[in-house]
Amino acid sequence: MSSDRLNGDTRDSPTDSRVARQRPLYSESQVIMTTVKAVIPFVLTYGLFITFHGTSSPGGGFQGGALIASVVLMIAFAFGIESTRAWLSNTLVVVLATLGVAIFAGIALVPMLLGENFLDYTAYYPLLGDTLGLKKYEFVKYGMEAVEIGGIAFIVAGVLMGLFFALAAGMTPTSETNTVGDGIGDNANADTDDTGEVSDATDAGVSDDTIDDSDTDDATDAGVSDDTIDDSDTDDATDAGATDDATDGGDRQ
Amino acid sequence: MSVAAATPSVAGLFPLQSVGITPLEASLFVFVLITAVLTALFRDVLASIVVFAAYSLGLAVLYTFYRAPDVGLTEAAIGAGVTTVFLLLTIAKTTRPATDARFEAINWPAVGVCGLFVLVVGATLPAFPAVGDPASPILANADVTGYYLANAYDETGAENAVTAVLAAYRGFDTFGEAIVVFAAGIASLLVLGREVFTA
Amino acid sequence: MTDFLGVVTTRHAYALFVLVSAIGLYMMIANENLVKKIIGLNMFQTGIFLFFVTSAYRIGGAAPIVEHGAGPYVSPLPQVIVLTAIVVGISLTAVGLALTIRLYSAYGTLRADALREVIGDE
Repeated sequence: MSSDRLNGDTRDSPTDSRVARQRPLYSESQVIMTTVKAVIPFVLTYGLFITFHGTSSPGGGFQGGALIASVVLMIAFAFGIESTRAWLSNTLVVVLATLGVAIFAGIALVPMLLGENFLDYTAYYPLLGDTLGLKKYEFVKYGMEAVEIGGIAFIVAGVLMGLFFALAAGMTPTSETNTVGDGIGDNANADTDDTGEVSDATDAGVSDDTIDDSDTDDATDAGVSDDTIDDSDTDDATDAGATDDATDGGDRQ
Repeated sequence: MSVAAATPSVAGLFPLQSVGITPLEASLFVFVLITAVLTALFRDVLASIVVFAAYSLGLAVLYTFYRAPDVGLTEAAIGAGVTTVFLLLTIAKTTRPATDARFEAINWPAVGVCGLFVLVVGATLPAFPAVGDPASPILANADVTGYYLANAYDETGAENAVTAVLAAYRGFDTFGEAIVVFAAGIASLLVLGREVFTA
Repeated sequence: MTDFLGVVTTRHAYALFVLVSAIGLYMMIANENLVKKIIGLNMFQTGIFLFFVTSAYRIGGAAPIVEHGAGPYVSPLPQVIVLTAIVVGISLTAVGLALTIRLYSAYGTLRADALREVIGDE
């Protein structure tokens, strides 16, 4: 790995515009790894506490879900986004979000089937009052807790994790001609991407200039298109026109 | 904390039910304003994002000061935390344009438009009740606010009135919001051309 | 003049809301970088949240964790709206950022004026 990567910082000085553009998302940093390893259990516990105690203290499903998602985000920062996603498995994230919606919709809509109003927790009393041993008014509290924990917290945690992984994975070009630059975030694992194209893999250790996360045409025009993305430059419009002609960007989906 | 006593000079000048501003509030306001202006003015996107995170944190503290701990928690976790991560991911996946100057050039027509906005909305300021006035229509309303505050614990068993309203009294809005969050997850997968975020 | 100052000092948080929303609006209009436009949108939203939370505030009130017989509380209802709105705001931001990534991968630029030219030429 080049020494730039060991800085633990993917944002370098803006003086070299080409280098500042495309950087790997993960770089191994001992400080981050150690801190995260020490801090995660407490953050997770606190997130669960906030979720479970939503009815007695400030908190609830939204905050707890965001905290639990941030635990996964911290793991991803410390150990690499691709490896975290492999560890978590896509299924878990998708199931978390979908299960949350299903639980919330289930708890909320069953009272309508029973003839009561939407989200009328007391409608469960005739059904489950004896089996659970709860009085009628207690159903409201436990129904609320179920919705908060099993519904909202699951959904928020699942979707925030999923959005993080989706944004980190980037754009998947669907055209066959666009072979390079799949957009997989972690260039260290570029050999595992499904397009399997070689440019990223061979360039992974060599030079940051040619590593291109998103777009083949940007790689070929690495010199040219940097002018188009320079905010301080006022004739960007003409350069953008030139780039577009060269890269045929409009034809790709 | 005693608000009126903390700023005797202000209360002396304006003998109405002026509540004045405590020093904590004033410093928070200044911090929020400065970070907001810097977010707009920094040319480098990364600097903008970092200052925006500080702005979110300042707002979270302000919400806590206004006795809204749930909102403060959510703003700190989601606004200052997750939004910053998503923004940083985006500039990592796209580009961080090289910059020479530190501040953007100010676009004066846009400033004019925003000034017009400030004037128009600011002209409605006298119609608002004073901040924290107990006689404001929201707080003095016994049918809605008073009812929820008085009956939340008895009817739902939850001491946190915000959670009681969120999950029991106004559960339909929460259901809609959960669906919106789920739809956003699906939409971003659609936009990025993936069925799931597979490698 | 003192009347104006009196108004501003008693409705100080509302004045902050107006200013913050104006700055967010400025970012949406004037900055050409797409990511900054999204930041401006977020800032405008936070201004609105500040407005709601301020309208719920009561001097001498406590946070809405109710106990029987305790003193005055702030109103919980605007806080509920803001809680929902914050989460919807992050959803909006995430979809906007996904669109930005896609735009960048298609056109190679994040500048809105360059995009207008490029898309207009097609």
